Amino acid sequence: MNLEEGTATAQEDFVTRVLEHDQLSQGKKRPVPRRHLRGIELLVLWSLRIYVLFMIAVVVYQVMQSMR
Amino acid sequence: MSDLVPDTIRQKPSAASGPQITHEDIDRAHDRQRVLLARAGRGLFSRTRLLWLLIGPGILVMLGENDGPSMVSYAATGARFGVGFFAPFFVLTFVMAIVVQEMTVRLGAATHRGHAELIFARFGPFWGWFAMLDLVLGNFLTLIAEFIAVRAGLGFFGVPPWLAVMIAMLILILALITHRYWTWERITLAAALFNLVFIPVALFTHPDWHAFGKAFVTWHPFPKGGLTKDTVVVILSDIGATVTPWMLFFQQSATVDKGLTRKDIGFGRLDTVLGAALATLAALAMMLCTAPLFSHQMSAENFQGAEFAQALQPIIGRFGAALFALGIAEAGIVASITISISSAYAFGEVAQRPHSLNLPMKQGKSFYTVLLLCAAAAGALVLVPGLPLVSVILIVNVIAVLAMPPALVFLYMLVNDREIMGDLVSPRWANVLATAVVILLTAAGVLFGVSVIAPNILTHLHFGGG
Repeated sequence: MNLEEGTATAQEDFVTRVLEHDQLSQGKKRPVPRRHLRGIELLVLWSLRIYVLFMIAVVVYQVMQSMR
Repeated sequence: MSDLVPDTIRQKPSAASGPQITHEDIDRAHDRQRVLLARAGRGLFSRTRLLWLLIGPGILVMLGENDGPSMVSYAATGARFGVGFFAPFFVLTFVMAIVVQEMTVRLGAATHRGHAELIFARFGPFWGWFAMLDLVLGNFLTLIAEFIAVRAGLGFFGVPPWLAVMIAMLILILALITHRYWTWERITLAAALFNLVFIPVALFTHPDWHAFGKAFVTWHPFPKGGLTKDTVVVILSDIGATVTPWMLFFQQSATVDKGLTRKDIGFGRLDTVLGAALATLAALAMMLCTAPLFSHQMSAENFQGAEFAQALQPIIGRFGAALFALGIAEAGIVASITISISSAYAFGEVAQRPHSLNLPMKQGKSFYTVLLLCAAAAGALVLVPGLPLVSVILIVNVIAVLAMPPALVFLYMLVNDREIMGDLVSPRWANVLATAVVILLTAAGVLFGVSVIAPNILTHLHFGGG
């Protein structure tokens, strides 16, 4: 084993001992499984989405009013 | 812990690393090694050192949110309504911020994933893009407002706008130059603590401590005229000054980047509470600073920051006014750093590109490019003559409040997701508090809508001052 390989192994050993597996860049590449949204969750999300779009329109209206 | 490999191994970075370990991992491991050593120790010194090592994201997010538009909002509140209802109201909004931000600490420490990444992964790109759209819109408008604050603050000293923007960009780049999360965090923390400069400035105004103390007990006096359109905008603006979507994305990603684990959650909470306490002090101080303008019945409707300093100069002197203007500029600079970083984290998480402040420039090209481009674009826009900058300052906090409920529902669903959180899912009391915050923010938004579309309805509510 040459010096460079030895240092690399020591680094790897150190990092894997100090960090949790999920903290490694490699570990973070593991996909998080998708979850299915239930009816009530979809209802809340859609309601809030419509609320945001409507309220942004209100803000734009108010800005235009104040600029006049 | 004594068998941990010493710092000397860092002399050969990524070039010699195996395929599994990156430069980012090595830097984070060194930060974590210090945490593990401090945790292994006993006594007050070790605990204090552990706290010192683990604080950061919470203080940064809270003081970062005491940004240009927020400080202007607090100043406008003090100048228009004096000390009264809004003093305890500020405290309430920061309690709300603690409830919200604590969830991001738990989420980050339990999953080691950023907020945008989790939303995309768990709920799919359809909902993910909606969340990103809110974030991008909010962040960009807020960034513009930060540069307006920098421009206004430094303008007090005669610094031309282009130079003010350049100074802000230079500080942002200097904080990043070491490509090390730890160094960046400490530099930005030091800058963020300058937010407390409003405390001595408030003392220069010789506040009425009796009225100030009484306000916390009685929540009075309530703004004259009761719940008018103006009062609603100020209420919304002050809420938006403490809770905004970028804070969720930033603190969770920073928690992950710092490397906090389940064992660190207690300190993460302490960090958040400490940050909120400091930010509350700065916000209250700002209100006290401008309260004399209310007593002197001066109009402060379109003040952008430096105008407050000029108006206060006869009361607090040239030195006090200069500190005030510096504080406004600093608020804008620190927030421009944290907000552009939250955008870069979110972009990296969604685009699945490397995203960490531990990345060397070569490996984190897209991360640093997004970060600098966001800031540069916002900075450049501020220099375009004729743009309605006052409108931007006025609406950023309002938009933040409007975008919060959906962002909070995503957060609520994630922290109650046993599959990713395990035993760290929110307890019932935390869910009750989080639901109350969502309802309160939505109600505040609806109230704003009513005040714009049908202001007459508010006069029939007979709420407050009368």
